Amino acid sequence: MAAVSATSVTFGSSLKLLKSSQITGKASSLKMVTVGWTKSGFPSLRTSRFRVSCSAKPETVQKVCEIVKKQLALPAESELTPESKFAALGADSLDTVEIVMSLEEEFGISVEEESSQNITTVQEAADLIEKLVQKKSEA
Amino acid sequence: MALQLNHLSFQFHKFTSFSPPPMASIRSPTVFMASTLRSGSKEVENLKKPFSPPREVHVQVTHSMPPQKIEIFKSMENWAEQNILVHLKPVEKSWQPQDFLPDPASDGFHEQVKELRKRAKELPDDYFVVLVGDMITEEALPTYQTMLNTLDGVRDETGASLTSWAIWTRAWTAEENRHGDLLNKYLYLSGRVDMRQIEKTIQYLIGSGMDPRTENSPYLGFIYTSFQERATFISHGNTARLAKEHGDIKLAQICGTIASDEKRHETAYTKIVEKLFEIDPDGTVVAFADMMRKKISMPAHLMYDGRDDNLFDHFSAVAQRLGVYTAKDYADILEFLVGRWNVEKVTGLSGDGRKAQDYVCGLAPRFRKLEERAQGRAKEAPTIPFSWIFDREVKL
Repeated sequence: MAAVSATSVTFGSSLKLLKSSQITGKASSLKMVTVGWTKSGFPSLRTSRFRVSCSAKPETVQKVCEIVKKQLALPAESELTPESKFAALGADSLDTVEIVMSLEEEFGISVEEESSQNITTVQEAADLIEKLVQKKSEA
Repeated sequence: MALQLNHLSFQFHKFTSFSPPPMASIRSPTVFMASTLRSGSKEVENLKKPFSPPREVHVQVTHSMPPQKIEIFKSMENWAEQNILVHLKPVEKSWQPQDFLPDPASDGFHEQVKELRKRAKELPDDYFVVLVGDMITEEALPTYQTMLNTLDGVRDETGASLTSWAIWTRAWTAEENRHGDLLNKYLYLSGRVDMRQIEKTIQYLIGSGMDPRTENSPYLGFIYTSFQERATFISHGNTARLAKEHGDIKLAQICGTIASDEKRHETAYTKIVEKLFEIDPDGTVVAFADMMRKKISMPAHLMYDGRDDNLFDHFSAVAQRLGVYTAKDYADILEFLVGRWNVEKVTGLSGDGRKAQDYVCGLAPRFRKLEERAQGRAKEAPTIPFSWIFDREVKL
C-alpha cells in the first residue's frame, strides 16, 4: 500500500487501493481522505479517475460550485460534487469558457488558454484557482 | 470550431450536443467554429494519422427532421418559384470571369497581364493568404451542391429535376462556380502564389467534404446557408476594401462583384427561413438554436495542404487579424439574423421553443463579451510559413 501523506493523497486509478484499505481495515487512510472532504461531500467512488487533493480549500470549491450553478442556471439545492463534470451538468463549450471567465473575475486570476483546456470538473477548477492565487501572491 | 484554446472556430465556425470539444481559443474566431479532429480528442476512435487531412469529430447524424414535414416543402414549391427563383440572375445578364481578366484574344493581353502583376506586387503576403483561403473555399463548390442535395424535401432527385428547389440549387451552383474560376485565374496570373500547393489543397478539401450538421433537415440547412452567405458577403466585401486600400482597383471590383452575388443569395435564403418561421415557428426557432449551439462550421474547416495540420486555424487567424472575417462578424451575423427573422417577437411557442428563443436571442451578447475579453488579452502572435505563398511567413 502506498504511503499516504497528510498533505496530499493521490490515487491513480487505484480504486483497488481504496478497496484493499477497506478490506484490510486500514480505516486511517480513508479517514485522512474524508477529512479533506467534509464540506464538499465524499467524491464518487464510481469515477475511475480519482484525484484527491487536499490543497484546494473547501471555500474555493464552494465558490466554484456557486459560479457553475449560476452559469448553468441550476436550482440552488442541486447537488454538486468536486468531481461533477461541467458537461454532465449541461454545460456546452460556451458555458465552460464563460465559467472560466467568471472564475477569473471572482478570484482575480488569469487562466492560460492551455490550462483552461483541462478544466472539466469543479475540482479541477478549484485546484487551478488555488495554484494561480498562490503564484500571484508569490509574485 | 476548435474551441481550441490555442480558438472558433467556434469554428469559426462552426459548434456539439454532448461531446465536449477542446476548449476554444477566445482569441480567434475558431471559438465559434466547428470542431475538427485533433490528436488526443476523446470523441473519435480513429486517431489522426500523420500527413493526412483532418476529419470531422462529431458523430454524423442523418434525417433528424420528422418525415411529415417534407410535405411543407412540397407545398412551398409554387411560393419558391414566385419568391426565390426571382433572386437568380438570367445567364444572359450575368457577369463572367472573363469580364474581369486580361483578354487572351486581344493584342493587349500581355500588357494587361503585366499590369495585373504590377498591381499584385503591392498586395502583402498576409492579404494573399486570406484571398487564397477564400478562393480555396469557393473552389470546394462540389461539396456545397452536395450538401444542398442532402436536404430532405428539397433535393434534386435526378440531377435535372424541375422542382423550384432543384432549379434554385443548380442555378445557385452555376452562379457560385464563377467565383472560384475568377479567383483562380486571378491568382494564377498574379504570380504571387504557389498554384500547385493551392491546387493540392483544393483536391484535399473536395475529397474531405464537410458535414455542416444539417442532418438532412432543410430547416437546419437553410439556416446554415443564410448564415454562410452573409459571412461570405462580409468576407469578400472586406477583401475588396483591402484590395482598394492597396491600390488594386481591379481586384477590388472582382471581390466586390463576388460579394454582391453572395448578398443576393443571402436575401433568397433568409426569405426561405422567414417563410418557415411563418409556417412552423416552433420547428424553425428550435432549428435555429440547434445550429447555433452546434456552431456554424466554416465550409473549409477541413482544409489541408499536405504540410500544415492546423492550416484552417492558421488561415482564420490571419483572416481575423486582417479584419476580413472575425469573431465579431460571427456575433454580428447572428444578431442580424435574429433581427431579420424577428425571433424575439415569435409567439405560439412550446416550452422547448421558448427555451430555444431565449437561447438564440441571448447568444450574440455572450459572444461579444467573450470577444472583448479575448481582444484585451491578445498575446503576441507567431509568424508561420504558408505553403500557398512558397513558405513565406506571415503573422497570425
